[in-house]
Amino acid sequence: MAILETRKLDKWFGGLHVTDEVDFTLEQGEIHCLIGPNGAGKSTFFKLVLGEHSPSGGAILYDGKDITKAKSFERIRHGISVKFQVPGIFQALKVRQNLQIALQHHLQGASLNEETDRLLEFLKLKDAENQLAGSLSHGQKQWLEIGMAVALKPKLLLLDEPTAGMTPDETHATGEMVQALNAEGVSVLAVEHDMAFVRQIAQKVTVLHFGKVFAQGTINEIVADERVASIYLGEVHA
Amino acid sequence: MPRGNKTTSVLKLLEGPQTLGKGPGFWSGCAVVLALACAYPLFADGYDVGNNVYFFNWVFMALGLSLIWGYGGALSFGQTAFFGVAGYAYGVFTINLGDAYGLTLVSLVAAVGLSALFAGVLGYFLFFGRISGVFLGIVTLSVTLVLERFMSQTAGPEWAIGSARLNGFNGMGGMPSLTIPWFGADIALYPDVGLYYLTLALLVVVYLALRMLVNSRFGNVLVAIRENPQRAEMLGYDIRRYQLVAFVIGSALAGLSGVLYTAWGNYITPSSMGMSAAALPVVWVAVGGRSDLTTTLFGTLLVLAGFQYLTIYGSQYALVVMGFLLVVTILLAPSGIFISLGSFFSRGLRRRQARESI
Amino acid sequence: MDFLSGLFSFLYQTGDAFAFLVLSACGLAVIFGMMGIINLAHGEFILCGAYVTTSAVRMGLPLPIAILVGTLVAGLVGMLLERVIIRHLYARPLDSIVVTWGISMIVTQGTLIILGSTMPGTGTPFGSFTVAGYGYSVYRFVLMLAAVATLAVLWLIFTRTRFGILARATIQVPHIAEALGVNTSLIYSLTFGLGAALAGLCGGLYAPTMTLVPTMGSAFVVEAFVTVVVGGADIFLGTAPAAAILAVVKAGLTSWQGQLAGQIGLLVAVIVVIRILPRGLTGFILRERT
Repeated sequence: MAILETRKLDKWFGGLHVTDEVDFTLEQGEIHCLIGPNGAGKSTFFKLVLGEHSPSGGAILYDGKDITKAKSFERIRHGISVKFQVPGIFQALKVRQNLQIALQHHLQGASLNEETDRLLEFLKLKDAENQLAGSLSHGQKQWLEIGMAVALKPKLLLLDEPTAGMTPDETHATGEMVQALNAEGVSVLAVEHDMAFVRQIAQKVTVLHFGKVFAQGTINEIVADERVASIYLGEVHA
Repeated sequence: MPRGNKTTSVLKLLEGPQTLGKGPGFWSGCAVVLALACAYPLFADGYDVGNNVYFFNWVFMALGLSLIWGYGGALSFGQTAFFGVAGYAYGVFTINLGDAYGLTLVSLVAAVGLSALFAGVLGYFLFFGRISGVFLGIVTLSVTLVLERFMSQTAGPEWAIGSARLNGFNGMGGMPSLTIPWFGADIALYPDVGLYYLTLALLVVVYLALRMLVNSRFGNVLVAIRENPQRAEMLGYDIRRYQLVAFVIGSALAGLSGVLYTAWGNYITPSSMGMSAAALPVVWVAVGGRSDLTTTLFGTLLVLAGFQYLTIYGSQYALVVMGFLLVVTILLAPSGIFISLGSFFSRGLRRRQARESI
Repeated sequence: MDFLSGLFSFLYQTGDAFAFLVLSACGLAVIFGMMGIINLAHGEFILCGAYVTTSAVRMGLPLPIAILVGTLVAGLVGMLLERVIIRHLYARPLDSIVVTWGISMIVTQGTLIILGSTMPGTGTPFGSFTVAGYGYSVYRFVLMLAAVATLAVLWLIFTRTRFGILARATIQVPHIAEALGVNTSLIYSLTFGLGAALAGLCGGLYAPTMTLVPTMGSAFVVEAFVTVVVGGADIFLGTAPAAAILAVVKAGLTSWQGQLAGQIGLLVAVIVVIRILPRGLTGFILRERT
């Protein structure tokens, strides 16, 4: 059963066809990575799914429901959650409060505090709970935002380059977090550049190129695909 | 959940991440200040006490602006529009209805309600149109300036609502003071000790209620929107609604100020919605420290006292000083004088401790 | 004949409103478009231009030269202000707006203290002519020409001069412009000065038509604000077409219900429009074009 599906999803920016009739399916419980050279249309696709852009044509289905016209916050309430590339946290508020703002949707009182503590442990941020979020290290900020995204108890988690700017160790730890969440039943769509990370987590990979689905398969199939290698090589030479 | 439990959890909201001051020290300080405020009429002339109610009248508008601007991050430069609408509405209602049977109190509620409704309609277009910070400021400012100009030209006899003449540039007068119905004889609250206590009580209630509001879930979301609106939306919050609600509450408080001011002086003019009048709440709130209710409260009273003192030399001099105060505060103490002084001293203290420990 | 004179009257009103909107808004729009700051002391630069122009005329200078002097003085004051105060607040754009309001208070009340509550005007030059029984001021046509000329000159400045090209580069990618050796702080200073000078020009041009009082700036700012709100960040794609559209609205309402209705209608129209076009006309046009 598909948790997320796009049908002939289309987006024009003036004369530029950035998303070209993309048919995309993400199965329930899957970790699916979206890769492609710069300018392939990954982040536009991401924003279309989130509702930050409205499509020029086509449809987006979430859990069988058409959400093409839904507002961003409505999509979030349906069970989609997102982590941005640039850490989207509340810098001037304390770490603990950041998480509570996310958790207070469905929890209150003592259970709110318990769940906050549990999440702080999971994110390795227990010692920093009373710091201002803006004073965290870059990697910690990324984790905090993952924590906020997870706090919503999403069925589908969207990650936009979750490991950007992380050290290899931090990247690996992030991969383990994502896998732990997936084991609890969360489906994941990640846009990612770091191939080591993709190799660590991806169960399925989709390659976008010039706004179109260029190739799809397991990580091994994609790595073995010479056409995929050539578009990346082309980028290197360009 | 047992009832008592619920009450304590509501009372707990008096302290929280969004308000400065907690613990017995803070609250006993508050109690002392309140006791002094209550004791003041015992030591002063009734006439002076009545005059000084004037200071309290404005604080509601300042607290409302702190909620909208300081907590919600939305620049509303036209709070005086709601002040004026409510003030004129109170005049029109009471002149037509009279002051018997507690109708002045009904008029108060209706006038504040009208300003809230006006804020709701305006805010709907602004926030649901996703107007960004700067534009919100200049549209609200335009609204108050246009209202001022509209009221200024209502001098002719055709500008009357029922028996209430709007009276153009000279302003509307002759509306009754607030009057409490009482067995035998109604109690009219002329500027005197009675009105002082009533306004003080209202102020305490509004201050405490706002403290609870900003520390509640609603307040959490409001500051989240100020810090990062995109993230707040992507946590599933309809940020337009939250901003609209804060705007309506803050504007209703400006309306309350307008009613109290009009009832206190039995008078309101179009210039209460003009450019200088619109700037003053911004000065009070910025100087005191907009991001906290307590600093806003005391900052407003302090700046008002300074302004009142300076008007002896002429209001134009006082306004020049207010302008300087605003420029200097924003340049040197952007979070307001109290917080800036506080962090200045605590830095000094820490530096001295560091030196001594070496 | 009746229809033609009615049409002429409407076109005259529209042209007059267009000139007023363009001239009062373009200084504000230049600063907003290039620096993201709304200058709440905009009305006081208009005041400055008007007072200097009028004083110069009374000292014997011919009106065009006097207007030029008013424009230059306002521009220099603007640059000075940018150097002393605004410069320190680029990291806090919202605070810089509040600061300009403080400056506005100081100037308005300071003018009242130093120069008194009113300054005698010079009277409108050129007289008037009559069409079908209605009088029309010749000077109003001068103002319409001035508005069009101002737009043309701004177009030349931003597309043909070194300053204009560097300014646009600085706005689009400040750090790269800096890395390429552009003196960005000078660019900001000149931009603010240009905006202030345009406000001064507006004041100078309208000085002969009105009573000079210290609060005269607020007679212009509402129109300037709404034009910029509807127009968005770009002068040529936003401010000018916005002024044209709003001029029709304003002229229609004014000839139907009077001056005040024109102004109120303008504001209401704008508030409704932003519900539909949040990024202003600029955003709308750019979206259609790209």
